[in-house]
Parts: sequence; structure tokens; C-alpha cells
Amino acid sequence: MNWPIFFRRPGPWFLALALLTLLLLPGIAMAETMKVTQPNQSLYPDPDFASAPVASVPVGAAVTVLQQAGDWYQVEYQGQRGWLNRQAFPAPAASSWFKLPGLLTGAPVKETSSDEVALAGKGFTPEVESSYKQKHPEAKYAEVDQVEAQQVAAAKLQAFITEGGLKP
Amino acid sequence: MRSHLRRLAIILLVALPGLWGCDAVTGFLPSEAQPAVSIAAVGATKAARASREITDSEEYYVGRAVATRILSTYPLYRNPAVTEYVNEVGQTVARKSPRPNTFKGYHFAVLDSDEINAFACPGGTIFITRGLLATCASEDELAAVLAHEVTHVVDKDGINSISKARWTEVLTSMGAEAARQYGGEAGSNMVNLFEGSIDDVFKALVVNGYSRGAEYAADVGSVKILTAAGYDPGALAKVLAKMEVKEKAGAGGIFQTHPPTIDRLARVKGAAREEAPSAAEVNRTQRFQKIVQV
Repeated sequence: MNWPIFFRRPGPWFLALALLTLLLLPGIAMAETMKVTQPNQSLYPDPDFASAPVASVPVGAAVTVLQQAGDWYQVEYQGQRGWLNRQAFPAPAASSWFKLPGLLTGAPVKETSSDEVALAGKGFTPEVESSYKQKHPEAKYAEVDQVEAQQVAAAKLQAFITEGGLKP
Repeated sequence: MRSHLRRLAIILLVALPGLWGCDAVTGFLPSEAQPAVSIAAVGATKAARASREITDSEEYYVGRAVATRILSTYPLYRNPAVTEYVNEVGQTVARKSPRPNTFKGYHFAVLDSDEINAFACPGGTIFITRGLLATCASEDELAAVLAHEVTHVVDKDGINSISKARWTEVLTSMGAEAARQYGGEAGSNMVNLFEGSIDDVFKALVVNGYSRGAEYAADVGSVKILTAAGYDPGALAKVLAKMEVKEKAGAGGIFQTHPPTIDRLARVKGAAREEAPSAAEVNRTQRFQKIVQV
């Protein structure tokens, strides 16, 4: 009898199918769990701040995300379903996929001065600000410095709060 | 056939860890490919770290640059008594916010413009226009406006306006390996990314506005802060009602970047109280009127 190839030599096909299943499984089966990182978060019955909150969710609470709609996540927390605003979580994770061209071929390696490394090395630093200032001499940093120099001494603020009948 | 299957299996084995965010790849590849993979893997680890929030100091430097842009558009209102008072009210609400401390603290300033507007720069520099200050009828209403802006800083709405692709590039551009890859352009590339980030935030602040959700969240945050500080939690509804009148009269500014004031008002008017203002609130209104004559 002329059986299809799958039945004649099942071994390699099973290997390929098993690998494909492994590849697809996490996306299908794993409900995402997220940790609340911001204080003062509430669970709402609808994705709307106008609805009265049904529960508060403390920092560090792990919630199961059921779905996302715009800025809102429908979650399950301690057996209760409700909506949490995106502010409860940190900024969305950036992709960790490899850049394929760099992965396969490597990027061109060039000579780099130590100054360039220092400038690029730590993200947005005072050095990057200095370079930006040089590039934009018209930027009003002197005025921003004046705004930042405005301080309210602790004792003066306390007196202001007391005089205004506000909470200490 | 067998060789095809073997190739498929190898591709899957190599692809799987990458797709799941794991960097244990190099073991499967020939030795000559490993340096490139090593650089890419470091980049990917840094990209994964991009999911970390921007540091407080990075946020501060972005915020300073955004403030320079705002001050290029609106001049500072130079009235020391008013500036000092606005800072006192601002500090009173900031200390009761969920994020009372930023890298260099909160600072408040008044912009010399009739436009009704307010801006929160990342890191805690907050501007209110003379026009919006004049719209407030009491200290509690000023506190409500400043608490809304403080909540934008708390929620990092400005920083979250930086495009995800740009921020990922910032993170992958960091470190000596990436600097070697970018060569002599490593530093200027970072400055360009910094400039692009400032553009993103400035555009969100002044042109496009944040999402409606972020604005409603800032209103909710404001009411919470007012309550915690001892101000009238209904003060936000009061000032929004005044703003709505000006919006109907065709005012621009804040109304171009925020949800309709009537919608905002509908969500916070529940916090408004029926009873007459307390003696303390009357005192606060008097000190407001004495100082704020703009």
C-alpha cells in the first residue's frame, strides 16, 4: 500500500510538529500576569474613571490580564474581575527581538574615541545636555535654571500650610 | 527530506530563545558568527532593559530641554510675589502626591500669556499661564490645576510620549559595544535621540495633547491630592466650570489639547460639596486674592 510519507516515516515529522507546538504555545496558552507598580490604583467595573471603583489594588499586587482595550486592562485580582488603567503598570516593555541584520552579519566596526563612548555610554546625561546646548545656543537654559532655583524653605512651607488650615 | 527537517529543527532551536526573549543563542552558531551575536545579544539585553522606566535623572534632563522649548514659545512672568506664592501652593500639593520626590524636585513658574494653559515638564517643572491663573478664583482652584499637572509628572505622561522605537534605540545605543558599532557617530547619535525625545514630549504637551485617559486620570489624581492636602476636593470642578465658559467663548490653548471640559467636569463634579466654604478656605481665598492680581 502506498501510505503518505507522514505515516511511513513519522519520527522527523513528530519532531517538527513538537517544535512548532512549542513555538506557538506561549502565545496561546499563557495568560499574562502583570505586577502593579504604582500606588493608589483602583479596580473599576468599566474601563472608565467615572465608574465607582470596586476595589483598591496595592503596589506589588500580581494581576492576571484578560484583555487590553486602549489605556485599560481587564484583569482578575483575588477572584475579582475589573479594569485597571495603564497607569498601574510601568511603561510597556520594548521589544527584545534581535535585529536580524546585526545578528547574522554583525554591524560594521569603526574606530571610536573615548569621548564618543562617554557621550553615548549612559543615555541622557549632563554630557548629552552639554552637546545639545552647543547645538542649540538659543535654548533658554538660563531661564530654566532660574525656575529651578526657586525654592520654598521647609519652615516657610510649614507656616504656609498651617496658616491655610491645611493638612500637615 | 531528512536534511530539510534537520534544517527546520535547527532554525526553530535558534529562533525559539530569541522569540521568547532569551539570549542563550550563541551555543548553536558557528564560532565565526559569535562575536556579531555577542554584540546583538548585548543590544537585545539592553533593549529588554528598555522596558525599565527612564531613570529619574534622564527624565530630568529631558524635562529641562522641554522647558526651554516652552520658554521659547511663552515668556516668563516675572513677578516674585506671585511666583513664590504659586510655588508654595505647588509644593503643598506635590508633597501629598504619590510621587512627592523627583530627581531635582518640583518647580513652578508662571508664563506671561493670556492663553489659558498649563504644562508639566517631565521631572517636575510645571508652568501655568497668567490667563489660567486669572481664571482661578481661589487658592483651592489654583491647587486643583497644579495638582492635575503634578499628576502628569507622577504618571510620567510626558516621558511616555517618547516614541517606543526611539527609546529602544536609546537603550541599544548605550554602552561601549554599541558605541563601537556606531563608530565616530556614537555621541552625536545619542544627542539626536535626545533631541527627538524632546520633540516627542513637546509635541504631546503643546500640539497633540495626551490621551483622554491620561487627562481623566490626572483629574482623578488631582481630586485625590486635594483631599490629601486638605483643600476642597470640589475645587477642580469649580475651576473646570469657569474654564468651560471660556471654552464656549472660543478660547484656544488648553482646550485644543484636552478632552472637552464638559466631559472632564462630568467626571469630577461628584467631588463638589454643597456646604459653604470653611473659615480656613475663606482665609486661603483672601491670601490668594491679595497676591494674585494678574
